[in-house]
Amino acid sequence: MPILHTQLTAQGQTPDGSAIHLPSTIALIQRGPIVQVTIGVEQNIAQQLLLQGIPLPQPVPGIALIDTGATSTCIDEAIAQKLKLPVVDVVSIASASHADSKQNVYPALIEVVGIAIKFNALRAIGVPLANQGIHVLIGRDLLQICTLFYNGMIGSFTLSI
Amino acid sequence: MLEKELAFYEKNLSNWLREYPGKFVIIKDEELVGVFDTNEQALSAAASRFGLDSYLIRRIQKKSEDIKLPALTLGLLYANPTHATYSTRTNA
Repeated sequence: MPILHTQLTAQGQTPDGSAIHLPSTIALIQRGPIVQVTIGVEQNIAQQLLLQGIPLPQPVPGIALIDTGATSTCIDEAIAQKLKLPVVDVVSIASASHADSKQNVYPALIEVVGIAIKFNALRAIGVPLANQGIHVLIGRDLLQICTLFYNGMIGSFTLSI
Repeated sequence: MLEKELAFYEKNLSNWLREYPGKFVIIKDEELVGVFDTNEQALSAAASRFGLDSYLIRRIQKKSEDIKLPALTLGLLYANPTHATYSTRTNA
């Protein structure tokens, strides 16, 4: 069972502008439980494309935020388009700027970098995320197969699948 | 995107609720391409036929998907930034 243990570190600024090291507890508050991932073509689709001799696009690296508040996983819309992922549905969601917006749904493969944790996301919602420094929101649809231990006391979290 | 497919799904949903409740359907343009037990089977069949083209895959059910994304809905992603930089240390 692959286990990812992460402890964040961060730098902040004093009022006079000099850099200071922030403790992991603060870093985890600021950034949340984030992991480095790659986003690529969903496994069932990849298998079929390979059978047909169609080359797979290179996976795109990014940052994923584990979002226990989200029912559904989201990926950055621009990355989905760059990978030419097929749109398999359109759903309505509310956002901060729009009461009700139509968003594409994509199948995608999300792999955690450096460890054998991969999520075959069959229905990831495409939303603009990259301008906020993240590329994936890992929602409860994928977390249903995981154990997540959030240790705010020492600024670390552990994810296993 | 998928306007024709979504309209076709809505038009036929009441019939399909009787015929294929809980199944996954593939719709391309105004054609029901296939009916499957799982989403994975539907994706595999659709990719085999359409490659990376778009198509609609939906579960046949009365109630539409209940999606809750409070971080996006409320604009809470990093709502209080402090301009920190970060790095991660991982131990497998």
